[in-house]
Amino acid sequence: MNNAFIIGQYVPGNSLVHRLDPRTKITVIFFFVFIVFFANSLASYSILTAFSLASMLTTRIPVRYILKGLTPVWFLIIFTFTLHIFVTKQGTVLVEIFNLKIYSGGVIQGFAISMRFFLLILVTSLLTLTTTPIEITDAIEDMLHPLKKIKFPVHELALMMSISLRFIPTLMQETDKISKAQASRGVDFKTGSIKDRVKAVVPLLVPLFVSAFKRAEELAMAMEARGYRGGEGRTKLRELKIMKLDIAIFILFAAVAAGLFLTRVY
Amino acid sequence: MNINIRTLVTNGVLAALYIAATALVAPIAFSNIQFRLSEIFNHLIVFDKRYFWGIAIGVFFANLFMSTLGAYELLGLSQTIISLLITMGFGVFIKNKLVLMVINTVVFTCNMWIIALMLNLAIEVPFFITWMTTAAGELIVMSIGIAVIWALHQRLRFDRLFDYK
Repeated sequence: MNNAFIIGQYVPGNSLVHRLDPRTKITVIFFFVFIVFFANSLASYSILTAFSLASMLTTRIPVRYILKGLTPVWFLIIFTFTLHIFVTKQGTVLVEIFNLKIYSGGVIQGFAISMRFFLLILVTSLLTLTTTPIEITDAIEDMLHPLKKIKFPVHELALMMSISLRFIPTLMQETDKISKAQASRGVDFKTGSIKDRVKAVVPLLVPLFVSAFKRAEELAMAMEARGYRGGEGRTKLRELKIMKLDIAIFILFAAVAAGLFLTRVY
Repeated sequence: MNINIRTLVTNGVLAALYIAATALVAPIAFSNIQFRLSEIFNHLIVFDKRYFWGIAIGVFFANLFMSTLGAYELLGLSQTIISLLITMGFGVFIKNKLVLMVINTVVFTCNMWIIALMLNLAIEVPFFITWMTTAAGELIVMSIGIAVIWALHQRLRFDRLFDYK
């Protein structure tokens, strides 16, 4: 089993961010992704950075763990920075190597965009770090509730997501088992021509699909036998509730957004 | 909208399968093009439009939990949903599954403009070049996917999986 893979990277805890209603977290992140594009000065970036770092520290998850989770993104951040310092030709020439000139405008632009990207990734990753997948599913179901009026299958979507979350560990074990079984029979997934590797994938997927759909059949029969009738009249084990803490976070975030817009005006 | 129990459960399990395949099967990498095995699941829409939910949820969770860009890549989910809906539209008129898989490949490839736009907004990379390079990668991955899914279809009959007894 590949232990490097952690579903949702969720880290259990009882921090302020952990205790927030998942709908609050999703809403704040949605608007953060939106307002981050309005940052255009050192002051506005400072406000966003302070908010992001404060949120990160409040989770009480080790900073090293969070930054380690962002490892694959560093390449993209460095790439972005490098691209902009060589492409943007504004301001004064800072360095000239052969015919390659680095302008002050390019450095500022590269830094600003890389910083914006880093903050976006950092804040959005806090959602999955502090919220269980099932809480995210419950929040999505609740937030999509108004769509029921246009006959969107909100409950059904949430149920499919829950079933999916339930079966991920089972099917991951199954995939691991089958790929090891095929490897022991001499199937090589890692070398050979494109054709060979594509061919090697088929014997892995056939038993996987058969096994998965067999499980689906058994679950469907069990649900039918128990008289499952859909979402109407069903109650929930976990009720989502907006608390004073959530309202305080909304007010704080509104203040951050207002501060950001003020820096654009003055 | 009324979705029956079998469709619900099958799509839930399919989404889990999508995530398991993404997480555990080592990507087949050719040069700088990463072939994410689960990408080929996009072709299932050709066999039955009821696979839509399973693919969409699989992409949603895979992006949410496993992508390098974290929750930000959720915007990329719209590329999958729009492409699947367009292919479903073609499916009304075209019944040949192989032709429809080729169309699906073209649709997904063309719709990489959404990913390019997302990257353009996020890190301000040039839109057109990004569109062309990401589309080239998608074209190769989805073309390989036709061969894999067609081979699987010969054994599993994807068009009949919802009608199991």
